Amino acid sequence: MIAGVALIQQFLWVVNAVAGTFLLVWLASRKNHLAFPAFSFYILVNLTLGASVYFIYRRWGFSSVTARRIAWAMVFVVVCARALAVAEVCRRLLGRYRGIWALAWRIFLASTVLVLLYSAAAGRHRWELVLPSAQRGMELAIAAVIVLLLLFIRYYGVHADPADRSLAVGLCLYSCFNALNNTILERYLYSYAVLWNVLGMLVFLASLFLWAWALRSPQPAADAVEATLTPEIYRSVAPQINTRLRLLNEQLNQFWKVEATRN
Amino acid sequence: MNLPLFLFCGLLAILVVLLVWALRGPRRLRKPGANLTLLEETGKRHVNFMPQIRQALAKTDSLYLSRKAPALVARRVRQERRRIVLVYLSAVREDFHNLLRMASVIARLSPEIVALHEFERVRLTVMFSWRYQLVRLQLRAGLMPIPSLDGLSDLVSGLSVRMETAMNELGKRAALATEMASSFNGRGSDVA
Repeated sequence: MIAGVALIQQFLWVVNAVAGTFLLVWLASRKNHLAFPAFSFYILVNLTLGASVYFIYRRWGFSSVTARRIAWAMVFVVVCARALAVAEVCRRLLGRYRGIWALAWRIFLASTVLVLLYSAAAGRHRWELVLPSAQRGMELAIAAVIVLLLLFIRYYGVHADPADRSLAVGLCLYSCFNALNNTILERYLYSYAVLWNVLGMLVFLASLFLWAWALRSPQPAADAVEATLTPEIYRSVAPQINTRLRLLNEQLNQFWKVEATRN
Repeated sequence: MNLPLFLFCGLLAILVVLLVWALRGPRRLRKPGANLTLLEETGKRHVNFMPQIRQALAKTDSLYLSRKAPALVARRVRQERRRIVLVYLSAVREDFHNLLRMASVIARLSPEIVALHEFERVRLTVMFSWRYQLVRLQLRAGLMPIPSLDGLSDLVSGLSVRMETAMNELGKRAALATEMASSFNGRGSDVA
C-alpha cells in the first residue's frame, strides 16, 4: 500500500515537473512572461525548487529532519513567490483605476496582516510546525486577498480579462486547498503526510492546467489609465449620491413605520 | 474537531462562498460609451412618478371603494394595490442600482476616492438589500399592510431637485471624460 502511494507520488512529481515546464515554455512562446513576469517567476521558482527538493530527498532520504526543514523553507519561498504573482494580478486588474487601487491595496494589506495574525494565534505552537503554520497563514491570506479583489471587481463593475480572472481563481482555489491541507496535516501530522503530498500535487496539476488554459493566447501588458475626473467632482458628488441612497433607504423604512403604527 | 480547526475550516468555507458569489453574475459590464446612457438614464428616476403612485394608493380611494363597490371589486383593488407597491419597490431598487452604478463610474474615473464614502455606500447597499427583501417577502405573504406613501414624495423631492441639477452637470463632465478615456485607452471596455 505504502509502496503504491510512493509510486503515485513519484509519478505525480514527474508529471507536475513536465506540466510546469510546459507552462513555462507556453508562457514564453506567447510572450506572456512579459505581461505576467511575477507569475512566470513563480512557476520558474516552483520548478527549480521542486527539482532541488527532489535531489535533497535523494541525498538525505525522506525521513531526514534536515531534508524536511530545507524542503519546508523552500515551500515557504514558493508561497512568497505566489504572493508576488497575486499582487501582480491585483495590480493588473485594479491598477488602472488610481482611486480604487489606492483604497484596494490598503485593504488587501490590512486583511493580509489580520489573517496572518489570526493564523499565528490559532495555530498549534510547536517548533516543528512553525513553517507549515506560516505557510498556512500565507495561503489563507492569499485566498482572502483574491476574494477581496473579486469582490472589488464586482462592486465597482470593473472589466476583468478572462485570463486575469482565471489566474486569480486558480491561485485562490489552490491556496484554499493548501490552507485546508496544511490544517489537516498540522492535526494528523505523520499519518496524513503521504496523502497530504499526493493531494497537494494533484491540485497543483489541476491549477497548472487552468493557468495554461487561461494563458492560451497572448495577453497585453498591464496599462495605466489616467483618471479623467478631478478629485473635486468626486468630493462633491459622492456625498450627494450617498445622501440620495440614504433617502431611498428611508423610503423602505416607511414600510416599517406603517407596520409599527399598525402594531 | 477542536475549535480552532473548526473556525479555520469555517473561514475557508466563507471564502469559497464569497468567491463563488463574486464570480457569479457580475454586475452588468457595460460597453464603452455606455456611461453616457447610464448618466442620461439617471435623470429619469421612478421617484418622479410618485404623484401617480400616491394617487393609486390613496386611502380615500380605498375607503370609497370599500363603501361603494362590491366585496369582490374591493378585493381585486387590494390585490392591484399590492401589485403596484411591489412594482414600485422594484422601481425604487432600480433607482438605487442606477445610483450605485453612477457612483462606480465616478470612483473608477477619480484619481482618489474617500474610504469613508465608499464604506458608507457599502453599508447603505447592504441595508437596502436586506430591507428590500424583507419588505418584499412580507408584502407577498400579505403580512404587511399596504402602506400609504403620503409624505414620501415631499421627503424625496426636496433633494431630488438639487440632485437633478448636480447629476446633469456631472453627466456632461463624465460624458466628456469617458470620451477622452476611450480615445486614450484602446481597450476602452474597462471604463464600463
